[in-house]
Amino acid sequence: MKSRKVLIGFLKYVIVIVVAVIFFFPMLWVVISAFKGESELFLNPPRILPVHFTLDNFKSGLKFGNFTQYFVNSAYVTITSTIITVIISTMAGYGFAKFKFPGRDVLFIGVMATLMFSLEIIMIPMFLTLKGYGLINTFIGIIIPPAATPTGIFLLRQHMRSIPDELLEAAKIDGANEYQIFTKLIVPLSVPAISTLTIFSFVWRWNDYLWPFLVINDDKKRTVPLALANFVGQYAVRWGDLLAMTTLSIIPTLIIFLIFQKYFIKGISMTGLKG
Amino acid sequence: MSKRKIPIAPYIFIAPAILIFLLFIVVPAMEGFLQSLFTRGIIVRQDIPALRSRFVGLFNYQKLVSDPRFLTAFGKTILFTLITVPSIMVVSLSLALLLQEKIHGVGIARAMVYWPSMISPIIIGIAWRWILGYDTGILNYFLTLFHIDKQPWLIDNARAFISVIVVSIWAQTGFFMVIFIGGLNTIPDSYYEAARIDGANKWQQFSGITLPLLRPTTLLVLVLSTINAFKVYQLVTVLTSGGPGRATAFLVQNIYEEAFSKPLSVGYAAAQSVVFFFVMLLLSIAQFKLSKEESV
Repeated sequence: MKSRKVLIGFLKYVIVIVVAVIFFFPMLWVVISAFKGESELFLNPPRILPVHFTLDNFKSGLKFGNFTQYFVNSAYVTITSTIITVIISTMAGYGFAKFKFPGRDVLFIGVMATLMFSLEIIMIPMFLTLKGYGLINTFIGIIIPPAATPTGIFLLRQHMRSIPDELLEAAKIDGANEYQIFTKLIVPLSVPAISTLTIFSFVWRWNDYLWPFLVINDDKKRTVPLALANFVGQYAVRWGDLLAMTTLSIIPTLIIFLIFQKYFIKGISMTGLKG
Repeated sequence: MSKRKIPIAPYIFIAPAILIFLLFIVVPAMEGFLQSLFTRGIIVRQDIPALRSRFVGLFNYQKLVSDPRFLTAFGKTILFTLITVPSIMVVSLSLALLLQEKIHGVGIARAMVYWPSMISPIIIGIAWRWILGYDTGILNYFLTLFHIDKQPWLIDNARAFISVIVVSIWAQTGFFMVIFIGGLNTIPDSYYEAARIDGANKWQQFSGITLPLLRPTTLLVLVLSTINAFKVYQLVTVLTSGGPGRATAFLVQNIYEEAFSKPLSVGYAAAQSVVFFFVMLLLSIAQFKLSKEESV
């Protein structure tokens, strides 16, 4: 009986390890391959580890592939869009959580309903609309429209509803105005939710492909995912450069994931939403 | 409390978000419905006005019903959804059950399974395109180690379709596993203890306690993964580009190509989007109805 239990425990371990490998190996393989020279990359049969460890792919990708520019673009778009997302979601979350006003519930349902209009669905009219606004081929066109996210507003509203009303009343009695209550009381008390949204927004925007794909046409304004996808579309894929640039592009998300792992698990089980 | 007039402050707080939603969701959505009633010239990426616009009523919708290109893409999307969604549910629930146990090192395994959810579909597509290559792909190399013939993963129609399905499942499992773990954590341990005292075995505990109590989570996963499956596009652009031929060209790709590469078909593409939207709407209503039933 006891030996059977040990066996089951051992089997479970084996399964866990196999599962972990299946999910982790593909990206690891990309990273390993990125350090291989051209001749080793296409070795048949392949060798797992590089014999001659080289950074050539990274150098050529950044230099000839114009990727330095794309990384700068991506960083710019990601950071500005995240800042805007955090500010407007915190404001809207507060408006919906702590005030009673005519039209509040209808507006809130309306905001949540925008989840149904994901970009995949309204891609074509979105293009026409952005063209009408003169936002095609501009950074504003990929920074502003996705900055308002129902998920973010929902997250902040849920969090702020747990802040006791008595605190706000007390601040009002002390003579604080709406602006002061918001910046001195609500924002500091919402730091956990704000951090969660910041991290999520950063990853969403860094990974974003569809918006730049639709809006950006000018090579100099491409973001990293757009440039990578374009790389694949070429007749002869330069795999060495591609794998190296792919490796570089996952570093920011990897760092964020390692530091904030718990936020992701929590954030997802809190909202169950994405995008 | 004295009677107050309508407060201004909350409107100011919600204004920026609402303004963006109006300009970039409501306006395009209405534009989409409107365009679907017109034929319009090809969209050019440069600043050339569209050729001519002519009101055609529901003509674009009539055209849909007999357009083999659209119907094939639609059918493929449905087939893709019918296979992907149940697979994702089974795999992610199984992994949630496996990885919620308190075995040493399980946290690391959980993080590794979740990790693909953090990466752009573009990156995932590139990684798998590299792995699934015919001559230099590592998967075919592993197969030869087991004396299995190399497979033309992305070259052959059926295998390309299967590859897209498997990679989609792989990419989303971690996210849904986390949702399932969240659901499992809400089930009190005492239920299982009571069942064990009554002599229920593991399977009876699973079917008698876990599954029924997990129903709200399961519904959420069902709806979210169905919506995701219907929207499949980004991963495909890099993994197969919709090919070979049009073997893996799904709904979104079809709409995009329709609008940007064919003359006079913006309205027609918009009509396809409207149909797509109603599918999503039905799914959302279903979710709402079901979750309401839950809370009654």
